[in-house]
Amino acid sequence: MNQQSTSREERIIEKAKSQFPDYVKETKIDGNKRVTITFNKDHLQEIATWIRDDLGLDHLKGIACVDYPTHKKLEVLYLAGSFSKSEIQDIIVTLKTELPRDAATISSVVSIWESAHFHEREAFEMFGIKFEGHPDLRKLLTLDNWDGPPPMLKDIRFPEMGQR
Amino acid sequence: MYEGIKHIFKRTFTMKYPYEKLRLPTGFRGRHLLYLDKCTGCGICAWICPERCISMVPVTNDKNYPQNPEKRFPQYWYARCCFCHFCTDYCPTGALDYTPDYELAEYDRELLLWSPERLSRPTTHVGEYESVIHGNQGVTYERVAKTK
Amino acid sequence: MTTEPSTPIVDKAKESTMDVSVGPQHPGSGHVRLLMRVDGDYIVSIDPDIGYVHRGCEKIAEYRNYVSNIPHLERPCIIDAIHLNWAYVLPVETLQGVNVPPRGRYISTIAAEMNRIMSHLYWLAINAGVFSGHTTIFMWAFGDRDLFIELMEWLTGARLTYSFLPPGGPRRDIPSGFEEKLTKLLNYFEKRLIEYDRVFFKNPLVVARAKGIGVLKKGDAIRLGTTGPVLRGSGVEYDVRKVEPYGAYADLDFQIPTFKEGDAYARFLVRFEEMKQSISIIRQAIGKMPKGPIARKAPLVAPEGEAIGRVESSRGEIAVMVIGDNSDKPYRVKIMNGSFRNLIALPYLIRNVHVADMPIIYGSLDYWPVEADR
Repeated sequence: MNQQSTSREERIIEKAKSQFPDYVKETKIDGNKRVTITFNKDHLQEIATWIRDDLGLDHLKGIACVDYPTHKKLEVLYLAGSFSKSEIQDIIVTLKTELPRDAATISSVVSIWESAHFHEREAFEMFGIKFEGHPDLRKLLTLDNWDGPPPMLKDIRFPEMGQR
Repeated sequence: MYEGIKHIFKRTFTMKYPYEKLRLPTGFRGRHLLYLDKCTGCGICAWICPERCISMVPVTNDKNYPQNPEKRFPQYWYARCCFCHFCTDYCPTGALDYTPDYELAEYDRELLLWSPERLSRPTTHVGEYESVIHGNQGVTYERVAKTK
Repeated sequence: MTTEPSTPIVDKAKESTMDVSVGPQHPGSGHVRLLMRVDGDYIVSIDPDIGYVHRGCEKIAEYRNYVSNIPHLERPCIIDAIHLNWAYVLPVETLQGVNVPPRGRYISTIAAEMNRIMSHLYWLAINAGVFSGHTTIFMWAFGDRDLFIELMEWLTGARLTYSFLPPGGPRRDIPSGFEEKLTKLLNYFEKRLIEYDRVFFKNPLVVARAKGIGVLKKGDAIRLGTTGPVLRGSGVEYDVRKVEPYGAYADLDFQIPTFKEGDAYARFLVRFEEMKQSISIIRQAIGKMPKGPIARKAPLVAPEGEAIGRVESSRGEIAVMVIGDNSDKPYRVKIMNGSFRNLIALPYLIRNVHVADMPIIYGSLDYWPVEADR
C-alpha cells in the first residue's frame, strides 16, 4: 500500500521530467501526497496546459506568494488538485516559479484554470505581481483609494508588534 | 401550520437576566485568578499572550513572597484580553486559575487595568440556572442548587 | 494561444441598465458589497466588491509565535472555529513531526462535528432563513444552536472562540457527564430536524423559490474550482474527510450527501443531510472513544520547510500552507478557504435572473465574508 502511494507521486514527477526535460528545474516529494515541481516562469503556459490536460488536475486551490528579500526573489506557488480523476484526488501538486523582485510580471493562467481569477487579483494587490492576460486586474481587498506599496511584502514592517 | 400551532402553548425559554443567571461550568474562561503565593515572576504568561496584554510589574506591599524575590507579578489589561487562557495553561507553577467572572464592564478605561492584588480576589459570580433537556418535549431552564 | 475566458465577470453597461449597490450595510448581504447591474426586473450581471472586513490576518500571523497564532487565525471563520484552528495546526504538526494520540484525535473530531452542526444551523437561520424571509426557522435554529454552544462551553471553556487545538492535541479532556448530556441533546436534535424539514425544506414557498434557480452544472463546478456543499450539490462526490482522512475519520463510517441537480435547493439539502451525518459521526465517536493521553508536547519552534494541511469545514475545503524558518514565528501563512474559492460562482450564477432570486442564490452559496477577506 505504501509502495503504491509513493510510486504515484514519483510517476507524476517522471512524466513531468520526460515531457519537459529542459524546463523542470527541480522536484520534491514532501511526506506523502505533496509534490512540488519548480520551473522557469517563461514556460508556465505549456506546463500548466499539460498538467491540466494530461495529468487531469482540473482546478487551482490557491496561488500563494512568498517574499524573500534577502535572495531578491518572489516565489509564486500554484496549488493544483483534481476532482475528476479519482486516483490522484488526494495529491496536491505545487508548481513553483521565481520572479525577480523588481520586475515581477508573469503570464496569467485564467485561460487554463478559471478558478485562478480571484487568486491572481489578490496576488497582484498584495505583492505587486502583474499577471499579463488577466481580464480584470484591479484591487480586491484593500481600500479603493489605497495607493501605498503592496502590503504583504517584507519591506512593510511593524516594529511595535515585536521582534521579527 | 400544524407545527406553528403546536408551539404556541410551549413555554418560552428566555431567561430574565440579571435576575436569573446561568450556572457556568468549571473551567469557564472568564477573568483570571492569580495566586500570589505561587507566582515566581517568570513571565511566560506575558510571552505567550497573543494580544500582549500582560506586563510584569513590581508589587509594593509589606508581605514577603519567598518564591518571588523581586516581587514581580503579572498585570492584565482587560481591554485587550481575548480570554484564550493560554497564560493559565502554560504557567509552570499553576499560579493562574479560571473564574466564572464575565461582568467586567467599567465606565472608565483605566479601571480595566487590573493590578496583581485585584487579580487575586476570589470570584463573586453566583449562577443558579441551567438548561435541562426533556427527551423530545423540549428544553427548559431550571433552578439548581446554589453555587458557592 | 490564449483564449478569452468564457465568463467575463463584469459586462459592459448598456443604455437600459441601472447600477444598484447592495451595500455592506444591508440586511441581506453580510459584510460585502454586491454591485448589481439591473435591467428592469432582471439582473444583467453582478460584481462582488469584497474587502470590507480585510484585516491583514496573514501579515499579522508572521509576528506571533505558533501557539499565539491560534486565537488570531481562528477568528476569520469564528462560527466554525475548530476547523480553521485544525487546518492551521495540521501543517505545523507536520513540520514539527508531532503525532497526536488517538484519544486526542477523537476529541477533536467530536468538537469539529459539533461545530459543523452549529455552523449549518447558523447558515439555516441567516442565509437560508432571513435572506428568504422565513423568520420562524431563524428563531428555531438559533435557539437550538445555543444548546450546542452551551455544551462546547462545558468542553472548551468558551462559547464561540475556542482556541482548543494547539499543536500536539486538544487542551482539555472530556469532562465527566459530558457524553450523557451530548447524547440527550443529539436525540432531541434529531426530532427537531424532522420539524425543520416540515416547516422549511418542504415548505411550498421555499421549494418554489429555490428549485431550479441558480443551476451550477457539474462541469462548471469543477472548472470554477468550487468546494464544499456547492460542489456536492452539483454532483461531484468529493470530501476531504474521505479523500485524505485526518483526525478519527478513517475509523468512522459515514456518507457524503451528493445531489446532482445543482440548483439552490440541492445545496440546501446537502447541508441538511450533512447535519444528520454529523449526528451519526458524533454517536460513533462517543462509542469508540479510546483511552489514553490526549496530547503530546510540541516544541516551540518549527524547522525550515513548508507544509500544506487541509480539512473539510462546513463551507468547503480549507488548505493552509505554513513556511517555517527555524524560529518560533512562521515565515508565511497562506490560508485558502472555501468562501474565497466559491466567490467566483457568484457572478457566474447571477446573470439574467430576477432580482428576487439573488438572495436565494447568494444564501445557497453560504458565503462568509470575514473568511474570504481574512
